[in-house]
Amino acid sequence: MLAKLKAVTFEVLETMYYLFPETLEEGEVVPSKGPYLRSWVAIAGPQSIRIGLLVPQSLARKMAANFLGTGEEEIYQPEMEDILKETTNMMAGAFLSKMEASTAFKLQTPEAQWLTAEEKKKKTPPNRLRFEVDDELMELFVEKG
Amino acid sequence: MAYNVLIVDDSATMRALIRKVLVISGFDIGEYFEGANGQEALGILEHEWVDVILSDIHMPGMDGEALVQNLKKHEMWRNIPVVLITTESRPEVINPFLNLGVQDYIQKPFRPETIRKKLTGILGEAITPDASETESCDF
Repeated sequence: MLAKLKAVTFEVLETMYYLFPETLEEGEVVPSKGPYLRSWVAIAGPQSIRIGLLVPQSLARKMAANFLGTGEEEIYQPEMEDILKETTNMMAGAFLSKMEASTAFKLQTPEAQWLTAEEKKKKTPPNRLRFEVDDELMELFVEKG
Repeated sequence: MAYNVLIVDDSATMRALIRKVLVISGFDIGEYFEGANGQEALGILEHEWVDVILSDIHMPGMDGEALVQNLKKHEMWRNIPVVLITTESRPEVINPFLNLGVQDYIQKPFRPETIRKKLTGILGEAITPDASETESCDF
């Protein structure tokens, strides 16, 4: 499941943002500092899960600027939240298509929250993949819904 | 001929992106209208004429399905082409919309040329001469 999620994440990032992620190996570190933006989409169904992304604010700003074709100085927190929610929404939709999931699995409305570095440590889920994206850290996670 | 377009999506950012993609796709756009859900879209249609509706499916309030059902019941609106722009591509989700009379759908993430091809098929000759310059853009 994580492999399919990784594939759709790469597709969304490349197509929508011109960003080309690289998978980080265990122990590899990419320096990052908070605040962090965490966004997720719940997929309700026989086995409910939540799929999400966590990125530092600097990467969220870069993604929003790429997406909208504007300068980073024109991007504020609401745009970053909107962009990351839209990204997780696209990932979840593409994931359901790739899995050929039945309509018993329904996409819920995406959500987002800001985390401090301390809160991020507490919320690190066990099921996650880490990427380096444009010299920044990105985490993809799956949780039980 | 310029076409009036109505974009229906709960994400203001996605509406802005679709609008931008339409511009670089080379379509001759007259006026843009935007709604955050089906209810807002119907409100706009009460006062404005649109040639094509680009709509998301999942939206708070009136969703895409209810919007299409309302359009098809209305004598003036039932023939306005609707194209879904959605994260969904599962046939079980899309087919009911096609059965309702939706013209086509575009899955996110998408490229400008995908939108251009779909709208050309629906609206006909609407491409400006320099549209080919954007062929390789991704979105």
